[in-house]
Amino acid sequence: MGRVRASWRVAGAVGLLAVAPLALAARAGAGPRPIYQTTRHDAGTPNSDVVVRHHGVVTSYGDSAITYSAPPATLKALGYALYLENCATCHGTQANGVPVAGTTGAYPNLVGLGPATIDFWIESGRMPATDPRSVEAPRRPPRLTHHQALAIAAWINSLDPSYPGIPTVHLRGGNVATGMALFALNCAACHTIEGDGDALARSTFAPSLRHIPATQVAEAIRTGPGNMPRFTGNLSDYQVRDIVKYVTTEIQHPRNPGGFGLGGLGPVGEGFVALLVGVAGLALIAFWVGERQ
Amino acid sequence: MSDVSPSGAARPHGRGRYGRVSQAVTELDERLGVARGARTFLDKIFPDHWSFMLGEIVLYSFVVLLATGVFLSLYYVPSSTVVTYHGSYLPLDGMPMSQAYASTVDLSFAVRAGLLMRQMHHWAADIFIGSMVVHMARVFFTGAFRKPRELNWTIGVTLLTLAIVNGFLGYSLPDDLVSGTGIRIAYSILLSVPLVGTYLAFWVFGGNFPGTVVLERFFILHVLVVPLVMLGLVGAHLALLVRQKHTQFPGEGRTEENVVGTPMFPVFMAKTTGFLLVVTGVIALLGGFAQINPIWQFGPYEASRISYAVQPDWYMAFLDGALRIFPSWSFHSFGHTIPLEVTIPAVVLPGLLFGLAYAWPALERRVTHDDAIHHLLDRPSARPRRTAAGVAVLALLAMLFVASSTDVIANFFHLSLNTVLWAMRVLVLISPFVAYPIAYAIAREMHALHGAGKRKTPNVVTRSAEGTYEATPAPAFVDDVAEELAPAPVPTFIEEEGPAVAPRPSRGTRAVDR
Repeated sequence: MGRVRASWRVAGAVGLLAVAPLALAARAGAGPRPIYQTTRHDAGTPNSDVVVRHHGVVTSYGDSAITYSAPPATLKALGYALYLENCATCHGTQANGVPVAGTTGAYPNLVGLGPATIDFWIESGRMPATDPRSVEAPRRPPRLTHHQALAIAAWINSLDPSYPGIPTVHLRGGNVATGMALFALNCAACHTIEGDGDALARSTFAPSLRHIPATQVAEAIRTGPGNMPRFTGNLSDYQVRDIVKYVTTEIQHPRNPGGFGLGGLGPVGEGFVALLVGVAGLALIAFWVGERQ
Repeated sequence: MSDVSPSGAARPHGRGRYGRVSQAVTELDERLGVARGARTFLDKIFPDHWSFMLGEIVLYSFVVLLATGVFLSLYYVPSSTVVTYHGSYLPLDGMPMSQAYASTVDLSFAVRAGLLMRQMHHWAADIFIGSMVVHMARVFFTGAFRKPRELNWTIGVTLLTLAIVNGFLGYSLPDDLVSGTGIRIAYSILLSVPLVGTYLAFWVFGGNFPGTVVLERFFILHVLVVPLVMLGLVGAHLALLVRQKHTQFPGEGRTEENVVGTPMFPVFMAKTTGFLLVVTGVIALLGGFAQINPIWQFGPYEASRISYAVQPDWYMAFLDGALRIFPSWSFHSFGHTIPLEVTIPAVVLPGLLFGLAYAWPALERRVTHDDAIHHLLDRPSARPRRTAAGVAVLALLAMLFVASSTDVIANFFHLSLNTVLWAMRVLVLISPFVAYPIAYAIAREMHALHGAGKRKTPNVVTRSAEGTYEATPAPAFVDDVAEELAPAPVPTFIEEEGPAVAPRPSRGTRAVDR
């Protein structure tokens, strides 16, 4: 059922996976072994004929629903400067996850992750991390602008051009009904059916989807940040678009025809209202009209 | 208008001073002889205390449940037949679903006032069971279950059990993603009963889960069988209350031999009717303004789909909490598997809790050897051991209730789910042992305090000529002293003109012998 909405709560929610997801690339690196490892494999098998593969690597999911674009190469120089300022301490000057001497810890190799990954982590405010040694990388207001994120993605992409690019979701043709069915099947098991997110095992959290822009929803589905699986082959771009449409409409703006939504907390919130407003309120009225002695 | 008697024989009193009402009543009495019984009933004395009205909340939310439930049953289709939805809620368009779910979505969106009725029904159910628990706590802590009222206590515990069962059945009927998960858990609980589990589960579900008959069966149980039994038990509960007369708190002029309170007519009737309207009004307001169980957001149940963070309604939460925190123990031997991690929290624990509730009057009598008839209630502080025992059980239940939202707590406070789980295990185990001594100490202290819970009156300190001081308590405040009318014998006939009794300005409280 529904869950806690406020972004600050969910913020922490990403918990330990912050570094962990990216840390998989740093297996070879010295330092503590990351506890949590991201799955880099494709979740499921392709069920769509619009998926295009080249040497086993997905190069396109069918571009009419989502356009994936590489960041403009002209931003490379700016990106390198920004990278050295904001990222190199941990990820190393070559973005290969070998940190600058004196820094401890296991950090992910960013080369070959694709611009969508870099863009997602920077634009959701998770990177640059508040405390690089901390396992926490909660969602928060981004430190870098959209332009700066693009620039860093452009420089890293120039080291080894890779997929996926930064998605632009063409929501107009999206079908919320298909989106809901796919959401219930693929997303609700962690993010809950109302999209409020929740705590998973061992300090891992599925963040709330209540305030996430369409681009980042698509990026997360395609790149699998943290513990989230990468949904590549088994979802076509049409299907991703439908999910993004459902998330950005019905999940983020539920119509609540029944009145106040009670924070989407489900029976927990409803129980509190029933007991505190209903039962306690009526008992107070009884106290008011009855004899008190 | 003059007297219009068809036979032409004028009635001796005509319409009298009560007009048509009197005439109608007289006509009725002439044929059925109801005057005597009605008079006794209308003169029935009900002690007036706010905590005695908690049971009325239960009764009136039950009335609301019956009324709204009839409305819902006109539109709900209890069928597992799969249909394709093409209704007004776009995100479900074209989705295959059971007819039960489709009809629930339709009655929410396409039936006038359907959503209001559905939400009122759900809120009324939550309030029904909530006020039942509070009412039960009142009866327990004041010792109202003692001789001669043990039978009524037993009926009450049965009603609570049936209410919880029926609440669960009703919650399952929409066949949405969340309630389907609940049915799945119920199936597993049935399976976990040692030795007969499989047979039991197959018998209830007509085969393996989910089957095709469970919704139909739950429907008949929910709208006919259980409510009928409950209705009978509610009748018996109230009949016993009238027969045995209500208990009262000790106070000025109140003894084991009398009942002090207001007569059924007009005072109690007016008050209780008003309270019926208040309860209905609060439920209607909640139904109109607070959204509950938005099943359209959940989608239809399908075994391959699951939502994280599914909780049951609040009254099932203690079971859910116990299931969540119990370690994964199970027994495999002699060709049998007993999943203790389900059997103990979901079968043994509720069995023990409700067994304790049933047995409590007898248990207490064994300890106290108190075989006397009691009509005067205990102040909870006067019975510290009973009060502490009740608080201990409530603390255990409260902790189990909290344990059913481990994930919400972990998410809200940003803690590890595993930490919360272990914390809840510890808290559940220690809560009764912490609550008992605290409640016991508070009750003892309160009992020792003179006049606890009453308004304080000043002590007038005087100094004599010799220099000694003397403190005299001032008399109690006028409002704090119960004011009663003299006991009045119940008349056996209606005096139309009535004896010439000058009306006294009072709240109409009267004392009669039991």
